[in-house]
Amino acid sequence: MSVAKILEMALRAGRVTRRYPYQPPLLTPEFRGAVRIDPSKCWGCGACVRVCPPNALTIRSSGKDVTLEYFVGRCIFCGMCAEVCPAGAIEVTKEFELSAASTEDLRTRLVHRLARCSVCGAPVWTEAELRAVVKASPIAEEYIALCPKHRKERFAKAVALRLGAEGE
Amino acid sequence: MNIARALRAVRKSIWVFHLNSGSCNACDIEVLDALTPYFDVERFGVKLVASPRHADVIIFTGPVTRESLPKVVRAIKAMPRPRLILALGSCAVGGGIWWDTYSTLGGFKKLEEILRESGVEVDRVVYVPGCPVRPEAIIYGTLLLLGAVEQKVRSSEVAVPEG
Repeated sequence: MSVAKILEMALRAGRVTRRYPYQPPLLTPEFRGAVRIDPSKCWGCGACVRVCPPNALTIRSSGKDVTLEYFVGRCIFCGMCAEVCPAGAIEVTKEFELSAASTEDLRTRLVHRLARCSVCGAPVWTEAELRAVVKASPIAEEYIALCPKHRKERFAKAVALRLGAEGE
Repeated sequence: MNIARALRAVRKSIWVFHLNSGSCNACDIEVLDALTPYFDVERFGVKLVASPRHADVIIFTGPVTRESLPKVVRAIKAMPRPRLILALGSCAVGGGIWWDTYSTLGGFKKLEEILRESGVEVDRVVYVPGCPVRPEAIIYGTLLLLGAVEQKVRSSEVAVPEG
């Protein structure tokens, strides 16, 4: 191939290089980047944690609060968490400039307050999830702030009273 | 040798060596993509070299399989100081899908501990998440390694609002 022909091809193609840091990146509408969790919508139910293939999302209870942690360094950007979230709190963004000098910078935490049993004070689950349950079924309101043990006791007592047992 | 002075000297025209520690080759294809005229990382003087002895930066992909571990340690040992590492992809950053399997180490973080035990010091690491990483993310990570751009992500802890 002669030099003239190469020159002609180069002139026809023009400049193809994208000047990325000085020009917006080439993002398609289908592109999935890091996910963002809306703190005002999240219940802390843990559905995203169960479905996350590489366990980038983890949830743990310390006895005082419940922490939902998102480690973007392990995320494979599949978007399954956003699909499964019952509260619609997870949004897939187009953020890809996630480079960091330490892996600690790649972790984001969401701290939920823990609701406690009104009888014994044992931790039940996050306050946000209990609020969501009350919204979905109003009859649950008097049972909602109880731990499973005391909820069972109260239910048994109610059934017994209805069947004609003597109250204490 | 003054490492701090040498680190300050590495600001442009870095030579990179591409080290695959058992990745699926998606990140490696994206590295090639970043070197093509379309994204053209040579605008910043980045040049791919064939030996770690010539390299300023190692582009590190893969979750470090047990088979590749001794070779990876030898390659990083062969690099002259200051040793700069660009850990690319979810596998190299946090282990990715394979973070707790028996046959991988689970990312560069664990490898760094092994390197420190065997007396190999790494001077600067930049982690670039992505599965696979976009060529633009590789360019961004390289510029962050050279100190040309600011880091955007920070660790955060948000409390859920009441009511």
